[in-house]
Amino acid sequence: MSVKYRLAITKGEAVRYVSHLDYMRSIERAVRRTKLPAAYSEGFNPHMKIAFASALSVGVASEAEYMDIELTGDVDPAAMGEALASQLPPGIAVGRFRQIPATGYPALMAVVNLAAYRIRLPLPAGTAGDAIEAIGRFNAAAVVTYIKENPKGKKEIDVKTYVREVAATPVADGLELAVEVRITPTGSIKPTEVIKVLVEKFGLPADPDTALVTRTGLFVADGNSRISPLDI
Amino acid sequence: MITIPPAVLSRVAKPARYTGHEHNSVVKDPAGVDAAFALAFPDVYEVGMSHLGLKILYHIINRRPDAAAERVYAPWPDMEAEMRAAGIPLHTLESFRPVGEFDVVGFTLQYELSYTNILNMLDLAGIPLKSADRGEGHPLIIAGGPCAFNAEPLADFIDFFVLGESEEAVDDVAAAVADWKKAGKPGGRRGFLARAAAIPGVYVPAFYDAAYNADGTLAAVTANHPAAPPVVTKRVVADLEQVAYPTKPVLPFLEIIHDRIMLELFRGCTRGCRFCQAGVLYRPVRERKPETLLRLAQELVDNTGYSEISLTSLSSADYSCLKDIVGRLIDQFKDQGVSVSLPSLRIDSFSIELAQEVQKVRKSGLTFAPEAGTQRLRDVINKGVTEKDLEEAVGAAFRAGWSGVKLYFMIGLPTETDDDIKGIAALARRVTDIYREVKGKRGAKVSVSVSSFVPKPHTPFQWYGQNDMAELERKQQLLKTLFKDRSVSFSWHDAHVSFLEAVFARGDRRLGEVLLAAWRQGAKFDGWSEYFKFALWQEAFREAGVDPHFYAGRERTADEVLPWDHLSAGVDKAFLEREYRQALDAAPTADCRRGDCSVCGVCQGLGVDIIDWGASS
Repeated sequence: MSVKYRLAITKGEAVRYVSHLDYMRSIERAVRRTKLPAAYSEGFNPHMKIAFASALSVGVASEAEYMDIELTGDVDPAAMGEALASQLPPGIAVGRFRQIPATGYPALMAVVNLAAYRIRLPLPAGTAGDAIEAIGRFNAAAVVTYIKENPKGKKEIDVKTYVREVAATPVADGLELAVEVRITPTGSIKPTEVIKVLVEKFGLPADPDTALVTRTGLFVADGNSRISPLDI
Repeated sequence: MITIPPAVLSRVAKPARYTGHEHNSVVKDPAGVDAAFALAFPDVYEVGMSHLGLKILYHIINRRPDAAAERVYAPWPDMEAEMRAAGIPLHTLESFRPVGEFDVVGFTLQYELSYTNILNMLDLAGIPLKSADRGEGHPLIIAGGPCAFNAEPLADFIDFFVLGESEEAVDDVAAAVADWKKAGKPGGRRGFLARAAAIPGVYVPAFYDAAYNADGTLAAVTANHPAAPPVVTKRVVADLEQVAYPTKPVLPFLEIIHDRIMLELFRGCTRGCRFCQAGVLYRPVRERKPETLLRLAQELVDNTGYSEISLTSLSSADYSCLKDIVGRLIDQFKDQGVSVSLPSLRIDSFSIELAQEVQKVRKSGLTFAPEAGTQRLRDVINKGVTEKDLEEAVGAAFRAGWSGVKLYFMIGLPTETDDDIKGIAALARRVTDIYREVKGKRGAKVSVSVSSFVPKPHTPFQWYGQNDMAELERKQQLLKTLFKDRSVSFSWHDAHVSFLEAVFARGDRRLGEVLLAAWRQGAKFDGWSEYFKFALWQEAFREAGVDPHFYAGRERTADEVLPWDHLSAGVDKAFLEREYRQALDAAPTADCRRGDCSVCGVCQGLGVDIIDWGASS
């Protein structure tokens, strides 16, 4: 009998620079160390049945990741939480979790459609005013075209499809930005790309390489309502 | 403690190479230990993290309450540039302290083309490159590994070398460092080196002088210090059951080269291939008991969560209880999704049966190493396999469902003629024919990989003059014209690389200046084709006034003093000479484990015995 759980987990400072693939593999290995009865796919290269909502870029930390895991037998939920906590590498912690139906339940990947980020952006001294003005111009723009480049090729997108506005709060050495990014079946934009757009198109006086990005939430959004994937 | 700015980490490739925090890494309080070791691998993280020897050292040192071992790898050139620009010194992945603050920095020497990375790492650590320029505040720079058996090209840079197996030697070194520090460092660095020189297996190059003849050959390497023995002999662990095995290895986040459990079945090899340096350096064969291996495997699975166990050794098919151990490992782990793999296979159908057995869990490729294209040349190198062995093995593999095999060969072997080169193509063709005979159709995927022979110290071929680069390239081209069949893919190694390996493998102390000159001109990561620049090495040889052909291409006479004659692997030079003569007569020597003792001198001289559990039960 197979049992599925959905868990909230983190990607903390210690693993900020770990890639999504490596992050997943580290969790798989931790699960194997717990000796929990994880379910595997069939075939020559059996894979543990673990699924995530949306990939995080290298360098991006997260306070709100989610994973679904399938187990082949019933386990005591509290014992499962403890077992995972004892084996996960530093920076990966389990938060709230609950059992979900083993079949017919929407996959994380399919339902999560909004990601929230906090970005710490150092600025050269005395440029905070200019920076806030640049962000204001971005917020006021109706359309912001941007050429997204990846190894597969180039694609022109409208940044505003994904990010309506960027909220900026001055902090000691620069700004703290809050950004909500829509995740659509046809694509999305990375927070680092949003910073690049702000620098290149709106004259934000910052070095995009210095931005420190943390995902603060992943949601199932509908209009103005936002619910956690654990609450659907 | 060093903090790397986010901007740096966001600009470099694979930043997880530099951020630490891996599961099972051991972080100790530096103030609580007497001997702090920085274990340095002179190549990138993914290569260094795959190395079993460093895992063993890390485990054994960290087991001691008075010592700590931390890890450091060569930063990739993008990271090096960032570190230099930001003034970040080389540091470890555990405590993020500068390497220059450690008591000992230990390098492992796996291949000659990593030498410039050692200089580069010392420089990045702010440590003077030459031993003679280091002061009392600097760490002791030590080195071990196969290349330490000809330590001379690195003699100027390394304070002392440790020859042979490290399990017991490193405890001796750690204890010596701790004692010396607790005693108030009597005699300073030189005082410590005198203590170190008394430890068996330790070679302190500064305690030896090299003298040369008028023709440039070596006259003698003589001890100049009372603590230095005339010949330094390797360390050997008499019984592997008695030493610790790293069952809690550091688990990387990044995918590394050998990203799996490495279970070492045994050490040594008694087949006696005459080109093989490892076969001499790790003699004699000492097996672990099957029960021990099963216990170690369980601990490793429990502590890592890896899904694959690789059975490692120089020749895993020679493990006397192989069938037994493979079956038992599969049984023990099949329900946990853990597979078993055999990385090195001998050419016989027994191996194929076993390969088939392990395929029950996972499918992987098959590799065979006939090494030479004709039986005559295989007899010269004492490879001990026949064309019939290969035919049977390949036939069995095709019948078992494999459709592709990799074949490894060398060119430039002693006595080689063009007929031997043509034999390589003929053998590959024979393999495609066998596929057609077995399957009734074409379509075998045969890949032939050809490296150039590099004569190595402490082998029967140590006297042999390497083919020059033009000759190696001619042979590569000849071979290329012989592969017309599209089912055979052919690749070869750069002859310049093999040439440089030969120079440093058999070099003497005069090569230290060449290394320095090459490093100053920017040589690093020479083992990586994208960074290897031969022109720069040519310039370095010119600058140092050293003729590389003197080292690579010159046939040595039997009476010549070799730069490694004062360093012993326990195998007699007379045995090597005898083997070289037999090679030239294409006369085979039997495996000493099951046939007659070939009197290489290692068991007798080192007081160790072959341990073979299959033979004893």
